[in-house]
Amino acid sequence: MLQENAIEVRDITKKFKVYYDKGHTLKEISLFRNRRRYEERNVLNGISFEVKTGEAIGLIGHNGCGKSTTLKLLTKIMYPDSGSIEMKGRVSSLLELGAGFHPDMSGRENIYTNASIFGLTRKEIDVRLDQIIDFSELQEFIDNPVRTYSSGMYMRLAFAVAINVNADILLIDEILAVGDINFQAKCFSKMQEIKAAGTTIVIVSHSLGQIEQICDRSLWIHEGKLKAVGLPMDVHAEYRSFMGQERMRRQRNEAIVHADSKRWGNGKAQINKILVTNAEGAEKSVYRTGERIKITAFYKVNEKVENAAFGIAFFRVDGVHCYGTNTQIEQSEKITLSRDGKFIFEFPNIELLPGDYRVGLAITQDAGDVDYFSDAVQLTIYSEVDDKGIARLEHVIEYEI
Amino acid sequence: MKLISELYAYREMIFSLIRRDLKGRYKGSALGFLWTFINPLLQLGVYTMVFSIIMKNDIEDYYLFLFVALIPWIFFSTSLTGGANCIRTQQDMVKKIYFPREVLPIAYVTSQLVNMILSLLVVLGVLIVSGKGFNIKALMVLPIIMILEYMLALGITFITAAVTVYLRDVEYILGIISMAWQFSTPVMYSVDMVPGRLRNLFYLNPMTPLIIAYRDILYYKRIPELQTLISGACLGVLLLFVGIYVFAKLKRHFVEEL
Repeated sequence: MLQENAIEVRDITKKFKVYYDKGHTLKEISLFRNRRRYEERNVLNGISFEVKTGEAIGLIGHNGCGKSTTLKLLTKIMYPDSGSIEMKGRVSSLLELGAGFHPDMSGRENIYTNASIFGLTRKEIDVRLDQIIDFSELQEFIDNPVRTYSSGMYMRLAFAVAINVNADILLIDEILAVGDINFQAKCFSKMQEIKAAGTTIVIVSHSLGQIEQICDRSLWIHEGKLKAVGLPMDVHAEYRSFMGQERMRRQRNEAIVHADSKRWGNGKAQINKILVTNAEGAEKSVYRTGERIKITAFYKVNEKVENAAFGIAFFRVDGVHCYGTNTQIEQSEKITLSRDGKFIFEFPNIELLPGDYRVGLAITQDAGDVDYFSDAVQLTIYSEVDDKGIARLEHVIEYEI
Repeated sequence: MKLISELYAYREMIFSLIRRDLKGRYKGSALGFLWTFINPLLQLGVYTMVFSIIMKNDIEDYYLFLFVALIPWIFFSTSLTGGANCIRTQQDMVKKIYFPREVLPIAYVTSQLVNMILSLLVVLGVLIVSGKGFNIKALMVLPIIMILEYMLALGITFITAAVTVYLRDVEYILGIISMAWQFSTPVMYSVDMVPGRLRNLFYLNPMTPLIIAYRDILYYKRIPELQTLISGACLGVLLLFVGIYVFAKLKRHFVEEL
């Protein structure tokens, strides 16, 4: 093992048996041998990497790519089928918070139990006790039974213990999202502090932003192999664009039109076909931030509609109304519908940030809704940039150094 | 050797799991930890009632004859049946955190041992109060017998806990095994009652010499025979090593099987 390395992983592989119908009892094992068919799934197909002492790395990849398995192998709760893992120093893993908590025992007693599971001796816990209680912000409640805690308090206590286990190597799985925003900020600065103290850190997370803020390098694991290694910014840009394309491929370029979604109106005119197309005129439902989107709605008229207007609205999947407009607001022109036709909303560069969106389309009349189709279209937006908020505002950044 | 040093590093975990088990068990009840003493006392009361009034027996103070053997037996059988589940019931921990897996059976069996010691204190109290008294010299041997039984229980728990992870039936089979085992161990009768030709077979049961030793010390107030001690020690050590070996083999794939 090289002097400067804290972790050396050499060509590890791991297979899982995935049972179709897993039997655990004697009857199931002896009688239904053939029912216990399984498939061998290669989760890791030869991964090698090194982590230098004091370095922080992030493992990224889509669900099931093998990143959590890698972390479990590092933690030694599982063993690789082949290959070797070498680690230098005391390893502490934050895969599970609040292990061994007993609801009837006080916060203080649970600190001792929980910390001991991380391998601390009584003396070491004594030294850290005040620090842990301070960090958890539970001074007044520390002698109450844990069952009286709110879930936020519970997690705060658990996190406080975990983060105060001083280790040479810290392995973390998706747990930085604890408590309210203030507590999260505190956890975050604690992480920075731990890193500054020279601890080697390996993080598995879906939050690319977090990894960018803490880690020096990102490892992108794809189908059990390392796909890319490098600065988080670079690897993540590649990853985001790959994931966006994947999604696009999976949805087979079809815009999804809901037949059963919320829809109301007086029926004088009805939208009967919707096309969502890109700059080349191809039908798609996944777009990159900044791409051209053209939404065309065909309608048929059953009865003449006077003073009509066409409208559109974008809702993020969590219900945030991102944008809405209609022909009346924009042009105040009177439209009369007397025969079948179409209306088009075109966005030369859609500046919505990554996420899933529902698009509502409507034909209205000043007296009320003619046909209000509240989630007519589902769209997914992806981006290579991880900017925050709802929409990208056109901007220029300048600075002098 | 590596295992021992690692277990030493995790000693606080063993202690705190035992503490959690002992303190947590009666938390929330009005009498709390007192139950640890009240329980065996009440049990003894029931046995006294039944065996000195209803089922009268030739053996003098049969309730004591039974009780001094029953408490060590309960320690063993709880380790056997309850200990089998100690990995499975704490699978969340096993799946998410690294620690030497041996910690769980050790903590479980040790906490049962502590329970037995507390119950034996009650027995001692009863021996004094009832005027039966005890033999100090014989009592000095008691810790050795307890250590031997502890090793035996631990060895078997290692095996059952590890196998249960792979084969859940073990948990249910153990209930009946434990009952059959109790009747083939001289807990409710003395070994003299066993027909001569079966007696050698009886001594293959690792619990037989131990129960005889407990009864020698606490009931007959005499030091157990050396032969009893030696055969108990051999079987205890043997099973402990087998247990450690089996557990070490099986523990590598716990997480995948759970």
